[in-house]
Amino acid sequence: MKHRATIRTVALLVVFLFALAVPALAQTPKKGGVLRVGMLGEPPALDAHWTTASITETLTNHLYEGLYSLDENYRPIPMLAEGMPTVSPDGLTYTFKLRRGIKFHNGKEMTSEDVVPSIKRWSQQSIRGKPLFALVEDFRAVDKYTVEMKLKQKSPIVVISLAVPGNFGAIYPKEIAEKFAPQIKATEYIGTGPFKLAEWKPDQYIRMVRFDDYKPVSERPRGYGGGKTAYVDEVRWIPVPDVATRVAQMETGEMDIVDDINIEAYDRLKRNPNVRPVLIKPYYWLVAVFNKKEGLGTNQKIRQAWQAAIDIEPIMKNVAGGRPEFYRMDYNLSVAELPEWHVKIPGLPWNERNKEKAKRLLQEAGYKGEPFRFMTTQEYKWMYDFALITKQQLEDVGFNIDLQVVDWATLVKRRNNPKEYDAFTTGIGMGAMYDPTHHDVVSCGWPGWTCDPEIQRIQSELARESDPKKRYALWEQQHRVFYEQAPVIRYGDLFGLRAIRSMVKGFDEKTERVRVYNVWLDR
Amino acid sequence: MARYLTHRLLALLPVMAVVVTIVFLLIHLIPGDPVSVMLGPDATEVQIEATRRAMGLDRPIHEQLLLFYSRILRGDLGQSYFLDRPVTTALWERAEPTLVLTFSALLVAVIIGVPSGILAGAYRGSLWDRTLMTGALMGVCIPGFWLSLNFIYLFAVQLGWLPAAGYTSLFVDPMATLRHMVLPAVSLGFNQSALIARIARSCMLEVLQQDYIRTARAKGLSQQAVVYEHAFRNAMVPVTTVIGITMAILIGGAVVTEIVFNIPGLGRLIISAILRRDYPVVQGVVLVTAAAYVLINLVVDMVYAFIDPRIRYE
Amino acid sequence: MSDMMQERSQNQPPDATAATARNRRPRWMRRLLRHPNVVFGSLIFLGLLLVALFADTLSTHKPTRLFPANRLTAPSVQNYLGTDEFGRDVYSLVLHGSRVSLIVGGVTMLLTSLGGVVIGLAAGYSRRLDPVIMRFMDGLMAFPAILLAIALMAARGPGVWNVIVALSIVYMPRTAMLIRSTVLSLRELDYVQAARALGRRDLTLAYRHILPNCMGPLLVQGTFIFAYAVLAEAILGFLGVGVPPYVPSWGNVIASGKNTIREAYWVSFFPGAALTLAGLSLNLLGDGLRDTLDPRLRVQ
Repeated sequence: MKHRATIRTVALLVVFLFALAVPALAQTPKKGGVLRVGMLGEPPALDAHWTTASITETLTNHLYEGLYSLDENYRPIPMLAEGMPTVSPDGLTYTFKLRRGIKFHNGKEMTSEDVVPSIKRWSQQSIRGKPLFALVEDFRAVDKYTVEMKLKQKSPIVVISLAVPGNFGAIYPKEIAEKFAPQIKATEYIGTGPFKLAEWKPDQYIRMVRFDDYKPVSERPRGYGGGKTAYVDEVRWIPVPDVATRVAQMETGEMDIVDDINIEAYDRLKRNPNVRPVLIKPYYWLVAVFNKKEGLGTNQKIRQAWQAAIDIEPIMKNVAGGRPEFYRMDYNLSVAELPEWHVKIPGLPWNERNKEKAKRLLQEAGYKGEPFRFMTTQEYKWMYDFALITKQQLEDVGFNIDLQVVDWATLVKRRNNPKEYDAFTTGIGMGAMYDPTHHDVVSCGWPGWTCDPEIQRIQSELARESDPKKRYALWEQQHRVFYEQAPVIRYGDLFGLRAIRSMVKGFDEKTERVRVYNVWLDR
Repeated sequence: MARYLTHRLLALLPVMAVVVTIVFLLIHLIPGDPVSVMLGPDATEVQIEATRRAMGLDRPIHEQLLLFYSRILRGDLGQSYFLDRPVTTALWERAEPTLVLTFSALLVAVIIGVPSGILAGAYRGSLWDRTLMTGALMGVCIPGFWLSLNFIYLFAVQLGWLPAAGYTSLFVDPMATLRHMVLPAVSLGFNQSALIARIARSCMLEVLQQDYIRTARAKGLSQQAVVYEHAFRNAMVPVTTVIGITMAILIGGAVVTEIVFNIPGLGRLIISAILRRDYPVVQGVVLVTAAAYVLINLVVDMVYAFIDPRIRYE
Repeated sequence: MSDMMQERSQNQPPDATAATARNRRPRWMRRLLRHPNVVFGSLIFLGLLLVALFADTLSTHKPTRLFPANRLTAPSVQNYLGTDEFGRDVYSLVLHGSRVSLIVGGVTMLLTSLGGVVIGLAAGYSRRLDPVIMRFMDGLMAFPAILLAIALMAARGPGVWNVIVALSIVYMPRTAMLIRSTVLSLRELDYVQAARALGRRDLTLAYRHILPNCMGPLLVQGTFIFAYAVLAEAILGFLGVGVPPYVPSWGNVIASGKNTIREAYWVSFFPGAALTLAGLSLNLLGDGLRDTLDPRLRVQ
């Protein structure tokens, strides 16, 4: 009797110890293998300076690096720069020290003579570089590992602009940065990133292989930055435009990671023991942008009527495929994942669902039922979805909506022409949110032309003010003005879905974009 | 014969010229341009203009047309805006899936269509005939793309026998290519098989009414011998030309099938090129497709003329 | 997709006996009504026509009304054929979709016939215009129909009228060729030449002698063009380059069901079935008409 009990206890103990040990064993990253990633489409370029396209952003962040990057809280941390810059007492001179011994994929060492032309090229074409360099008097190399930026006036956005991952200040070798004019996309791809480009067959695949001479920052992985290790031998990025195919290929094991899949696939993938669905949070908040230069959109009361009429939650729920985990109701001109800029202001006229108020506002506006041209596209399904439901809700209070469904290329073209539309749909992603001065919805130059003097005054203040507390207060003020003016209608936050195979380990599920450094295959 | 051939080839040139011009004008009528697509959603109008100028897209249309013509004559289809490579390369890379699909569909169409038609014609009025011809009628009426979706639902989703979409190159894994091609080829070919069946049947009937068939029967040959040795071969002649035409038709049908099954061929290329406003690629695909179409028709006419001397002297 | 073999034979000139076809009208009309294909085809087509006309009465819901909370529900008593991703009633959508299909098919048929007659007559009569027109027609026909339609729609933008125009341009050459070959053959007939010698004007000749002889083949081909146009509109809608996506059309509904085919097969299934039915009716009609009106092509 006693024997049997002892044996049982020992057996249990052994099993218990094993159970503890196995996950510990599984934690050691394994090197090797080919990682296959299914993406939404083909990148228009692999030149990080040239375009804001999200696919380009994802891919170029594996090949290149900038002076700074973002950590898990989306705050700037050094990447190719050595530490944060030294700022002169008057705040006009920023001195950046560069890390030493950083090799490009072609073996050349990165020095200031590469940094200066790269950043200069970036500053002429990119969306964050141009406004920054409008304030820059001079940017030059001081010595081999030091560069200096002289500003015309104090600015709080120097480091953040150099740190944002989209359309970023990637450091190219001097020869490439000088060879290609900023308006022409670079067609040579040499960077300092953990992967280098092996082969690019458009519409078929993009192959990246591990760069053995990569020198990581000596710290743990942090968000988009920190230590990066390329465990896999090769990453194959495969454009699969059809979402159903992407999902199917995940299930059959043809892909290891698939990005941007439809929310309906969530249940099926969750049941699959080999697959792990991952929420992309944040993704986009949905907006309808008014044309405030010409036409019906110039009438503030009409805009306010739209804002008062819509019932946002059923729209978000439908766009999210009926699943509550895939949307979030929020009025912020930012997201909860950016606590630095997240405000709490009760009583804003967001999601009032007040049909009477809307009808009254329309009357006050003098609206006589003229067709309101609302432009959207089916290429981003969620845009079409919220536009269609909005149309019905607005027509129930008396709007006459002319819904124009075009392809993305046409929409992007037309939204720059004030004669062609009254409102268009789009989504605001992280790329526009890292700093309040980056926000498109309160920008006068962005389509829609939010040039209201009060809004612009606050934006200019934000560009000048360096004290974070004061900036936050300004940002709160901006919210109040925004909801009074209603230049853009903010719906809710939508989340996306991607999926990874269970044997893919080390994947950072919190980042907005896919990053496969630090990822390894447990086979 | 040679004169007829030369005559037809010469007639081809102005047709191709018309085709080329239509393509060019058509594409440039589409609003939007490749630059705004490529620069991403946050690009400003100033940036777009600058890039457009740098890429030479702002020159007047007649200049661009002349440039286009001169390039075509040199065999240069231009450079893709989006893909950063010559259009000819882009087309070549995608030719394999489309060709495999077209040939597979043709195979399906012939294998199903010809025997059905011949049998139906040989045993006219029988149950075989009625069943096969009803099947053929359905084949003509069922929309190919709807059939594709139903196939996907049944065989890929519910039964899991075959992949729902995608393509593997023949040179990589022919067995996988086969698996990926079954559903697309059958849904594309089924439609055409119906047409082939009907025509084969009517040709068969016509032949069976001929005098020499009656003679063969009078001589005491069995029905089988009559059908297989005399009627079949003669009926096949016009059917062969139909097969040629079918090839041409399949080129068009392949576009939709490639979209539904996500096959990276020329059809999918042209749709994405239109969406990206990649004019050179659109022009290239349409040109190549139209040229193929015209050439196949020419070959068919040649075969016709070869068989039927009366046509040559028109 | 296109029945080119049949087209080829249609483009051959009718024989001289067709010239006296007018005198046989009562007989072929009777034959028409006895032919099973014609009867069945017409009945189904008539059914579709009635559905299109009375779509509003027959529908259970307004087809464009969204019920976002009711997405993707299976066929039930409330929604006979289920609902789509916006909660729209598939049954009502299918009924209303017949309108777009019939309008597109019908108007395209009319336009191609009219346009084809004008162009064909011009080509047949004028020795100068003929080669020019012919080259142009050949050029147009060198494109696979769908590709040309896609390119035209991308250039013009969405809309029912644009679809009709695009499809008419695509199919007109076929009709033009048919008319042209008829004109060419009839021009050489003795009594036509005699009439000309007597001073009859060409236009009168066209009206009195040539056109009536084209009627038969024109009608047959028109029926098939109707069928191709209905299918082409659905394909364009499916690809997203047809009528605007929120307009009820069979192609649009099939397209919207494509990505949720696992969860909700009914969205794509039923409009496709309707399409098949429409195609069936038109093909039966076309076959029957061809058998009765074009005896040389008759399939026993």
